[in-house]
Amino acid sequence: MKTPRPPGSDPLAPIPPVAGQTLDAQLHLLDRQVLDSDGVPVTTVDDLELGAPEGEPETPIETVIPTGTPAPVLRALLTGPVLGTRIFGGRPPSSRLIRIPWADVASVGVVVRLGVSGQGLDADWVERWIRDKIIARIPGGRRDPR
Amino acid sequence: MKRLLGVALGILTAIGGFVDIGDLVTNAVVGSRFGLSLIWVVAVGVVGICVFANMSGRVAAASGRATFEVIRERLGPRAGLANLSASFLINLMTVTAEIGGIALALQLASSVNYLLWIPLAAVAVWLVIWRVKFSIMENVTGLLGLTLIVFAVALFLLKPDWGTLASQAIPAVPAEETGATYWYFAIALFGAAMTPYEVFFFSSGAVEEGWKIKDLIQSRINVLVGFPLGGLLSVAIAGCAAVVLLPAGISVTSLSQVILPVAEGAGKLGLAVVLLGIVAATFGAALETTLSSGYTLAQFFGWSWGKFRAPAKAARFHVSMIICLLVGIAVLATGVDPVLVTEYSVVFSAVALPLTYLPILIVANDPQYMGKHVNGRGVNVVAMVYLVVILVASLAAIPLMIVTGAGA
Repeated sequence: MKTPRPPGSDPLAPIPPVAGQTLDAQLHLLDRQVLDSDGVPVTTVDDLELGAPEGEPETPIETVIPTGTPAPVLRALLTGPVLGTRIFGGRPPSSRLIRIPWADVASVGVVVRLGVSGQGLDADWVERWIRDKIIARIPGGRRDPR
Repeated sequence: MKRLLGVALGILTAIGGFVDIGDLVTNAVVGSRFGLSLIWVVAVGVVGICVFANMSGRVAAASGRATFEVIRERLGPRAGLANLSASFLINLMTVTAEIGGIALALQLASSVNYLLWIPLAAVAVWLVIWRVKFSIMENVTGLLGLTLIVFAVALFLLKPDWGTLASQAIPAVPAEETGATYWYFAIALFGAAMTPYEVFFFSSGAVEEGWKIKDLIQSRINVLVGFPLGGLLSVAIAGCAAVVLLPAGISVTSLSQVILPVAEGAGKLGLAVVLLGIVAATFGAALETTLSSGYTLAQFFGWSWGKFRAPAKAARFHVSMIICLLVGIAVLATGVDPVLVTEYSVVFSAVALPLTYLPILIVANDPQYMGKHVNGRGVNVVAMVYLVVILVASLAAIPLMIVTGAGA
């Protein structure tokens, strides 16, 4: 639905020309499998975090966006409890978001590949916890089946 | 020679792996009440599972993506979660039924109460998942499951009047049954033949074994030869029940009645073989369904999964399977009849069929995933026809269950 602009406001700045592939967040990023640099699954892209480009002031949420504000950029892939809020509504506080910085993403195809190992990522902490506290303690837990 | 052996092995395991507790119970129940008049449903179900198992295998080989990753990507988180909840719960019900089936078969073999066998069966299932290599697991249970051919042998040894048996195979509602029960059991049989877990398992298995496009011919032969022959096994189970139980007015409510015709036709030896076959088939299916519950969860949430990894490298996957087995034990420990759980699980499987099959069909037509291996027109026509059948069965299942009092 198109909402009429309040009188006197200017249209938002036009989308700057971009080089390279254009990604549709819904189609190419959200709900895609994320693999780390070794091809091990890390998570699924549960949500995305947008923010002001580097060096620009953040626009507070739920306020009128002033004229001339530069287009937001993709900051990070989100995972964890944010999936719950994406399905059922609401927004977790920013401090609770588990982020995979966009700079870590190496390529986007049928899967999103990271350029870093999943081992050190915050996104992998549940996996590491279950591995160290439960699975690795059961005999044979570290044995490679092949 | 080695390749030929590989093909033969694949076909044999596909036959042996086709029958699970759902097929055993439902075919025997149907045979004992409707004779062979519902046998056409098995044929319809087998063609359907061939089409869709093949398709999901091709998706997995072409894109490296297993079914539930694809379901989440295509349906989004909300519909995907609803789908996951339904598929997972029905799968958990099937896990419970299969473990109960192992325990019941062991009870028949040992006269030790099945409740005592349940924890043992569940631990054995877990141990195999924990330690045994995927391909060995598949081949051993599949080959042992082949012993269920004894149902076909028994059918011959019973020396039925083949003419009357064949004349029973014409679709018609028997005089003592109503149309509603006839169609209710048609849906149950359809659900038993097309259980969604087979597709989860098939596509995830393709990733486990690292299939590439060139391996697809082998898998196509396995499916197209193995599943129909497995379907023939189902028919033999129903045939045995139709020859022995139907004239005696016995309707199947327990596993001992399922194997009664084998004992009558093939004697003690047959009985021993059929018990081995049932343990192998239900054990194999328990492995597949337990793995499937791990696969669906891990693929939806993007966890690391697979038996090709050490358990420590797929920790959440393994923990979720352990929890599923514990839940299965807990449900069975209440004393609920595993045969009853089986009967409900096949009908609910029929309800959930569109949730699995529609997303696969969509992705199999998506060139971004499939490249040049998208569905051909012929496959799409058949798949669309099946989608309509699946949808009708799914919508009619619950109302028919209520109207017939679950087929009573």
